[in-house]
Amino acid sequence: MSKMFTAAILIMVMQFGANAQVLPNVKLSTLGGANFQTQQLNEIEGKPVVLSFWATWCIPCLNELTAINDNLDDWKKESKFEFYAISEDDSRTAKRVPALVNGKGWNFNVLLDKNQDLKRELNLMNIPYTMVIKDGKIIYRQAGYVAGNENELYKIIKENQ
Amino acid sequence: MLLKKIIIALVVLSSTHVKAQLSGGFESNSALYIDDAKIKLEQIEARQRFRSNNYLRLDYKLKDFTAGVQLESYEPKALLNYSPNLNKTDLGTYYIKYKNDQLRLEATAGHFYEQFGSGLVLRTWEDRQLGIANSIAGGMIKYSPLETIHITALYGKQRNGLGFDFTDGTFAGLNTEVELSSLLKIKKVKFGIGLSYVNRNEKKQVYAGLNKNTFLTSLRGDFSAGGFTADVEYAFKSKDALVEFNSVRPDLQFDGDAYLLNLGYTKNRFGINANFRRTENFGFYSQRKSAGNVYNEAVLNYVPALTKQYDYSLTNIYVYAAQPNLSFEPNRNKAGEIGGQVGLFYQFKKETPLGGKYGTSIAVNYAQWHGLKGRYDAVQRKYAADKIAFGQKYYRDASLEIRKKWNKKWSSVFTYLNQYYNARYVEEATGEVNTNTVVFDNTLRLKKSKSIRLELQHQWADAGFKNWVASQLEYNFNATWSLFALDLYNYGNNTANDRLHYYNFGSSFNKGAYRVQLGYGRQRGGLICVGGVCRFVPQSAGLSLSLNYSF
Repeated sequence: MSKMFTAAILIMVMQFGANAQVLPNVKLSTLGGANFQTQQLNEIEGKPVVLSFWATWCIPCLNELTAINDNLDDWKKESKFEFYAISEDDSRTAKRVPALVNGKGWNFNVLLDKNQDLKRELNLMNIPYTMVIKDGKIIYRQAGYVAGNENELYKIIKENQ
Repeated sequence: MLLKKIIIALVVLSSTHVKAQLSGGFESNSALYIDDAKIKLEQIEARQRFRSNNYLRLDYKLKDFTAGVQLESYEPKALLNYSPNLNKTDLGTYYIKYKNDQLRLEATAGHFYEQFGSGLVLRTWEDRQLGIANSIAGGMIKYSPLETIHITALYGKQRNGLGFDFTDGTFAGLNTEVELSSLLKIKKVKFGIGLSYVNRNEKKQVYAGLNKNTFLTSLRGDFSAGGFTADVEYAFKSKDALVEFNSVRPDLQFDGDAYLLNLGYTKNRFGINANFRRTENFGFYSQRKSAGNVYNEAVLNYVPALTKQYDYSLTNIYVYAAQPNLSFEPNRNKAGEIGGQVGLFYQFKKETPLGGKYGTSIAVNYAQWHGLKGRYDAVQRKYAADKIAFGQKYYRDASLEIRKKWNKKWSSVFTYLNQYYNARYVEEATGEVNTNTVVFDNTLRLKKSKSIRLELQHQWADAGFKNWVASQLEYNFNATWSLFALDLYNYGNNTANDRLHYYNFGSSFNKGAYRVQLGYGRQRGGLICVGGVCRFVPQSAGLSLSLNYSF
């Protein structure tokens, strides 16, 4: 096990100098059931794209998305960015997603990652997890959510206009 | 040695190719079990008090190719109640994948995760908390001859433990999805169909009179128009032997089937969703002898509990687990389950009496599940179940959740849950429990990104553990640091000695892709459930440390 730790630490150190990771191309679906290739997100040029990974049963995720939704109109007036909430609900709860999103009156894009393919490719262990990509490169990651994290997120959005 | 070679190879490769990319993640969950006056490890477990589960995943991408490995280490031993097959350090998964979006082609050799439709006939996935890692090792091809037609074919064996350890069955699967409305260029409504077939061949263990092939098949359709959605699925399992107490009974063979119906309707600020499902003898494992095992090993399909998944500690004491399996026992015969749930979401507008200044959001949910009504003969091992009839009640819950922001600083979530839980059937234990649970979860925002979260919970129960009270306090210094303390107190327990406090305190650090959490306290014993699949853990006390990093 100590070898594995050494390896993990070695890789972490190496990654400091490495190029930013690119978002992999994975097939998701929209709330309407259409296919959505994540490559489309990499092709958005010149503005930050925020991806927030969540699920209907995850209370901190709902806290985060509620806080973001409350601020979204103000943020959009000041800055240019795209926002996508990516649901990690599996077939147990995925059917609840459209009802919940509409029932909460959320005004942002929602995508479904039904067998956690994107989550797995990005090596995300837990949700909530938020990342910002710009011109296809991942420039910011935040694991977990506590009240106030959305201010940090907005700072990143503003810095990358 | 193997580990070193793989890492060196990946590092060399990624440094020589400019366009290549190395990504991955590391997760470590450790515990040091320390007995206290009330909670002690069982003697056999106490031989190893420090336990650690570790996962290192590396993916290397060059043009259309991706290759990757996941190394897993359970040393000196895996955390309490993980499968004994997870031990020492070895390769967990390994694969190479070719993906070309222009050709609409993807081919994988090695380990992969896949799901057909809703997962009723095939789903492989990883859940580290549950100890589920049931990837298929073999080959998979995904090809879309047209943009609206998707075909997946796979062949392989299922992972069991580490390294090159697989279960006995070999299986082949085929899945087709057709987006009919798009194919026919219909725009106003959307509909499609899906068809799956999975065959398991188990010839390692031969039983007279038992076919070595067992198959599952599923036909499904979906429809949506405006805010309305509907989808329906029928799945069938061919005759398979009954497995009792880990022994295969070739003399007793039964087929199985499943019906699933989902309906939904949404409008601005309103959404409703209903699910109905009936399963009869529909558990499916990649080797017969694993049927019904406690570690969820060799599971090949996904039959989740269709109930709302709650996220607070006291709402997760009596969790319903789906009951798709067939078992005979006088006065506790089971052949499957029938039931459903309805969920409703509504947002009261801002500046209305109920909405207040910021709007109020409510969620209501109702779920009820029964056994299959029919005629059972536990002695002869025979039964006949009615198609649409409700047998013994297994579970029911009704809940209300209100989410309210009072002012710029203070917001709350109020949850009320009422449950009926039939432990006799769901856990094969004894008794029935009726509960009422309330949770009041408050967040207070302070200056400079500081915040406090206070959770207050109470559960009234007429049986089982009886009453509980719980609370949790969290102080967040900023987005990076937080401290937490919580206590669950089973003050109503019938046995004075079991009226325990399950306290926990600790700190967590989150920075970018790093997460570290350190805690000390007591862990309540019982079922840990994710997605309606559960793992039993005994109660324990001690230190816990978890580390996460992804890149």
